Parts: sequence; structure tokens; C-alpha cells
Amino acid sequence: MSDRILICCGAGGVGKTTTSAALALQLALQGNKVAVITIDPARRLADALGIPGLSHDPCAVDLSALDPTCTGRLDAMMLDMKSTFDSIITRHSPNDESRDKLLESRYYRFVSEKLAGSHEYMAMERLYQLHTEHDYDILVVDTPPAQNAMDFLKAPKRLAGVMSEGVVKWMSLPKDRVGFRLLERGSRTVMAVLKKLAGEQTVTEIAEFFSLISELAEGFRSRSLEMMELLESEHTSFVLVSAASPAARFDALRFLGLLNDNKLPFGGAIINRVHAPPSFSADDLPQLMPSKPRQVSRQDWEQLASDLQTVSVRQQRLADCDAPFTAPLAQDAPIWTVPHLEIDIQDPKSLALIAQHLESAATALR
Amino acid sequence: MFSEDPRIIVVTGKGGVGKTTVSAAIGLNAAAQGKRVLVVEAAGSERVAALFGLKGRSYAPRQCSSNLYTLSITPEEAIEDYVMLRIKVRALYKLVFRNRIMGPFINAVPGLHDLVHLGKIFHLEASQKRGRSEWDLIVFDAPATGHGLTMLSSPKTMMAMTRSGAFYDNAAIVEQLFSDVKKTQLVLVANSDEMVINETLDLYEQLDEMQSQVKAIVLNECLEESVKPDTWKKAASHFEDQPELMQLGNRAVRRSVAQKDAEARLSIQTSQPVIQLPFLFDRTLEKSDLETLAFALGSRHE
Repeated sequence: MSDRILICCGAGGVGKTTTSAALALQLALQGNKVAVITIDPARRLADALGIPGLSHDPCAVDLSALDPTCTGRLDAMMLDMKSTFDSIITRHSPNDESRDKLLESRYYRFVSEKLAGSHEYMAMERLYQLHTEHDYDILVVDTPPAQNAMDFLKAPKRLAGVMSEGVVKWMSLPKDRVGFRLLERGSRTVMAVLKKLAGEQTVTEIAEFFSLISELAEGFRSRSLEMMELLESEHTSFVLVSAASPAARFDALRFLGLLNDNKLPFGGAIINRVHAPPSFSADDLPQLMPSKPRQVSRQDWEQLASDLQTVSVRQQRLADCDAPFTAPLAQDAPIWTVPHLEIDIQDPKSLALIAQHLESAATALR
Repeated sequence: MFSEDPRIIVVTGKGGVGKTTVSAAIGLNAAAQGKRVLVVEAAGSERVAALFGLKGRSYAPRQCSSNLYTLSITPEEAIEDYVMLRIKVRALYKLVFRNRIMGPFINAVPGLHDLVHLGKIFHLEASQKRGRSEWDLIVFDAPATGHGLTMLSSPKTMMAMTRSGAFYDNAAIVEQLFSDVKKTQLVLVANSDEMVINETLDLYEQLDEMQSQVKAIVLNECLEESVKPDTWKKAASHFEDQPELMQLGNRAVRRSVAQKDAEARLSIQTSQPVIQLPFLFDRTLEKSDLETLAFALGSRHE
């Protein structure tokens, strides 16, 4: 069991994956035993953590170069959709025969890869597995790429809805009608329409799949309840990763509202890539210039002074643009900012440059 | 920008790089050339409308500027639209799709939500008014990289899954339109961030046979070079007593080097035209900002 679960949500492009990794790294450097799960086909976290081809199982990140005396530990892993779904089927199947039938079903291949919400559901499932089967202090979860931060919260319910007993029983109705007489008349019509739309073979195949999965429905249902319980528990905090832009802030506020509606615990928001203003005014720049080195021509030197002035004006403008979007999202809702660093995250060292700005976030979320 | 007059331009790229802004600018650019243009948003998004000061979202086209219209698709509306076209009886639609049990089932058809987006665009493309196409150009602000690709391949997914039947036949005609080099073109949007470039090149690779449909890669948020790297190389060490200035110079040079690298990598590895768009300092974009971008699109590539 782990003490803390941090779920990093945020819209695409705000730097969610990098931030999750940096936060996990910071927590590890503070002496905690941490695991970070990433869900990302581009395998960016693998590059950042210096682990070639991040695997489904926890893989230790070498922290010795960052802090030789570090007592913490960081394990990273990537969500493997297929293996996770397979493990669910295997666990919930009443016997080997129905397990094999399901795993070999043609429709299952499409379900496990393309079903809306299955990414999110599998992420939660994997989180739950790590929570119950391992002994980390803290689990940090990156969430699947999404149009907006709320998708992660909505998706599992959608999938659980699909797998719920009602649908499953109804879909397997043509085989087993006993006890469903009330539904029957409507069902025939519904089935006929579906067959007209999707083709007889497809509907039959899907019905077969659901009939197989109906044996697993109870397992799915109770697992979903356990997962929701874990999300609502004091162990868990949702961390919003956002950017200094109107669209990101709009999204962030909606996300916060949704957390509140669902009584889910909010840990705070991390605003990424915030431009800091220069500490001097552009007008003072000429006085700040050092004396001209011999190897630079007078003309180039004057050009450089004026270019640096332009850059500092630009820097100030960027900072002014960002400022309104770093204000707290709500009362008592902590907000942390990470400066725009213009560095490429290639290894644990460069990741540590970001991580150091998350020190107070890590301390508060611990 | 688009000499061969496609019917549909699909705009995709990594999240946060400005796909929506670029889609609106492409639309504005084409509208300025006298085309009747529709910009389509996915998954109930309302950001294009907001850029033009329109409130909320709408599944029906709304005019946002001269010759320029926008609409936003939700999968639910598109499914209803599609089903109504096939079964024609609303009561039957309600019986089948509005009941407690069927809702989740519809969600269980893999790729359907993606496919119905393309299906709606298919119908918009075919729509006629007064004996001619209702829209000269449809610009689709598609989902980000991974999801965008999944959406574009959703007709193939449906065809592989169903193998026959009405869904198969419909997916096949949608597939035909979206894989037609003459009718559908792709624009990838990126910025100079190395991770973004990596992801854009990955996406390009994964497009596979659709690579031939890529019309341009837009390198968004470009800044003018400010500090000359050559001068800085000679001068930087003299700024040791002014760490803040040193950092300022280092960053400016790093930024312009990154931008040049980004452009070089994109153009060498894809052999596609790379169009640079300027960084806009105002975060609350207005129509005049879009016009700046639309103008940049027009002037860079004609």
C-alpha cells in the first residue's frame, strides 16, 4: 500500500508528462520511495529519465549522479494498455476456458485498443495494482493525453457503464432471455436496427463478446467501486498541470469545479513555463553592459547592446502576458509556478532543473 | 497557400502549439480569397467561435466573419445525425439510442466517436446549395497528434472490425474522401520546442501513406533573431559579472538556435514546406491577430 497518490491532470501540451516526472523526481530526492506511471505513446518520459524503452514494470532511475547520498528511490514505468487489459480479464475470468475465449475474441482486440475511455480506465487499474501490490511511499500518475483535464475523470465511468451488468445482460439477451420479458419486445426492434446499421455479423460478434464478458461483470463492478473509493480517499490528491494562457485557465477552473462536484481531493495547481520578468529595466541596460572586449568590433558591440535591450523588452512583455494567469484558482487552492527554462529535457539532470522548482509543491503534496 | 484547391484541410499537431489559431487563420486566409469557408471544431470545442467573439458552441454553422463560418461537432449530435439519415424515424431513433442501456453500448463501438466526426465532415463536403457545393473549403481543427491519427484511421478501423454491413459501407466512402490526395490535405502544426519537433516527426512517420497528403508544416510562435550567435560567442564570457544579462543572452541565442534547428529538422526529414508564423504576444487573441497570421500564411507561400 502507498501513503500518497498524486494524479496529474491537465490538457494536452501543458507539459503534464514532464511535470509528473519532475515532481516524482523531486519527491524521490526528498527521500521518498516513489513510482511514476506515464501513459504516453511518444515515450517522452523514457528519454527524460534515461531509460531506453520504458517498460510496463517498474524500472529504477539512476539518481546517484544527482545526489550520491540520496535515500529516496524513483521507479518509472509506462502504461501498457494491452497487458493491463489482459491482466484484468485474467483476474476476473471464472475459468481458463472463458479467459482464453475472451482474449482470442476478434472484437476484444478492438475493445482493448480503441474503446473510448479504456486508456483512462487502464491507467486507474494499473494505479490500483501498484497501490495494492507494491510498497511505495508515493505514486505519481501521469494521465492520458486529453483535450481537457476532465476527460480522465469522466472516462472510467463511461467504460464501467459499458461493462455494467445491465448492458452486458441485455447484449447477451438473444441467448438467455429468461427473466427479461419486459425488455424483450423493445429489444427485438433495437437488435433489428443495430443489425441494419452495423451488419449482422458485427452485432453477433459484439453480442458474443458481451456474453463472455458478462461473467466478468461483477469483478469489473466491484473493482470500479474500489477504484472510486481510492480516488476519493485521503490518500489521493489531484494535481492540475496548467499553462499561463486563457484557454488553460478556463480549463483549469472547469476541472476544479468538477473535482468539487465529485468531492474529489484537490492538491493544487502547477502552472508551467511561466516567464519571469528581467530584474532590471531595459533602459538601464546600457549602464549594465561590461566594457567591450577587444575581439568584438565596436559596431557589433553596439548591435549586441541594442539586441539585449530588445530581448529584455521581449522578456518583460512575456512576463506581463503570463502574470494574470498565475493567480490562485480558488481560495485556499495552492498554486506553484515553474519558470520557462528553454532547456531540452534529455536526462535526469535536465529534469532535475525543473524538479528544483517543484520543491515546495513536493513538500506540500507529500 | 493551397494551390490545388483541396476540399478539406485537416489541421493537427501536438497539444498546445496553436492548432486552433492556425485553423482559424487558414480559414480567414481562404475566406479573404473569396472562398466560402467552414472551420469545424471537434469534441464540442468552442474555441474558434470564441476567437471571433461568438458565445458558446453550435452544431449548425454560424457566421464569424465575411465568408467564414464555424461549427462544433459532438459525437452525440453526429451519431443522431447519422442514424437519422439511415432510419428516418425519430421515434425509432429515440427507442434505440436514447434508452439507458443503449447509451453505453454506443460508447462500446470502438472508434465510433471518431468516425462520426469524419462522417459529419463528409456530409458537409457533399452538401449542395443552389446547384453548387455549399462550402468551397472545410478546415478541420482535429484533435492532437495521437488522437488525431486515431481519428483519421477510424474509417479503416471500422472497416476492419465490421467487414460488411452499413457501417462498413459508410466507413468505406468516408475513407475514400479522407485519403483522396486531391480532396483532403493535412497541415501539421509545431513550435520550436525539441519535444514538439520529435513528436511532429513521429506523427509524420506514422502517417505512412497519408504523408503524400501533407501540404505544409506550420512552425508556429517564431521569434525574430535578436542576439547574433556569432557575436555572442565572442562576447558571452565578458558578462560574468552580469549573470542576469548573461542568462538573457544565452537564452535568446538558445531560442534562435532551437528555432533554426526546428526548421531544418522539419524540412530535411519531411521534405515538406515549412511555414513560419510569428509569435503573438497578446494571449487573448483577437481577430486582428488572426488576420496577422492569415496574412503571414498567404505571403509566405504563394
